[in-house]
Amino acid sequence: MGMIIAVISGKGGVGKTTASANIGLGIALNGKKCVLVDFDIGQRNLDMILGLENRVVYDMVQVMDGEATVSQAIIKSKSSPNLYFLAASQTKDKSVLDSDKIKKLIDELSEQFEYVILDSPAGIESGYEHTIEFANSAIVVVNPEVSSIRDSDRAIGILDSKSQKVKDGEEVAKYLIINRIIPEMVSSGEMLSSEDILEILNIKLLGKVAEDKGVIDASNQGKPIILNPKSVAGRAYVRISSRLCGNNIAIEEPSASSKGIMGKFRGMFS
Amino acid sequence: MIFPWNKKKSSANIAKDRLRIAIMTDKEHNKYPFMEDLKADIIAVVKKYITVRDVDIKKEQDGELEALSIDVQIGK
Repeated sequence: MGMIIAVISGKGGVGKTTASANIGLGIALNGKKCVLVDFDIGQRNLDMILGLENRVVYDMVQVMDGEATVSQAIIKSKSSPNLYFLAASQTKDKSVLDSDKIKKLIDELSEQFEYVILDSPAGIESGYEHTIEFANSAIVVVNPEVSSIRDSDRAIGILDSKSQKVKDGEEVAKYLIINRIIPEMVSSGEMLSSEDILEILNIKLLGKVAEDKGVIDASNQGKPIILNPKSVAGRAYVRISSRLCGNNIAIEEPSASSKGIMGKFRGMFS
Repeated sequence: MIFPWNKKKSSANIAKDRLRIAIMTDKEHNKYPFMEDLKADIIAVVKKYITVRDVDIKKEQDGELEALSIDVQIGK
């Protein structure tokens, strides 16, 4: 069975969907077969980030209801032949989700793919609970900011009580991505450091991603930032994906992006 | 840097302290101390009649109203 990873955050707007897209593509670029599933029923964002919004024909609710097969509904990414995408439903409301149907869908996907990545909706309501129910690991995305950290702690609490794996007496692996770090603010004591956040949340660190304006530019174009080797966030996702593929890569301290004097200096020659 | 005139606590440290307290109270807020024992008792009672898959107990609060929501999942 493949690795089933739920990407969660508690609070919305922290970069969860961007993280899902980049991790999925990163894993695929490592040569592993990966499917990204947008569980944010009623919203549909991941297709835009991946640049696949015009290719969506069937969504995951239609697959669960038997109106389409998995192979009809999954869309191949433009950026990697190993990456596939299953869209969220825009029309039906969240109450259509039902545990048995979700399990069936996830089982089917994990037979075909080495990595199944579930982009969970924000909040801690039923949509979120359904996303984590059958995942065997979770990636928690936080920003170094009080409300994001508090909400992620609640999301982790629910994960620890509601996931099937926990109910079966096993443990769900939990990894933390700290997103939108502004290194200058951390060094001046105006932003929580990664150590502080890890101490509070007490889960394993998967990676640190610095604030990067390129993320918006990347989503404008529907090309995940991991494809841009010059961007700090892109390189951070390369390392994160590689870690998820089992490679032992040291955690890198995010440095100030090209804003600093040295960055400008380097920029002259690059 | 530490200067004598720079005694103000950094805002990151304030955030850390506030978060610690908030998270601790969040956890206490959602629980009664007896919940684990209650869960075990409910399982024991219901098990006499039918297979129990899981029991989920939640403390719910809506303004002044406090409620205990008990969700018993029956095994197949």
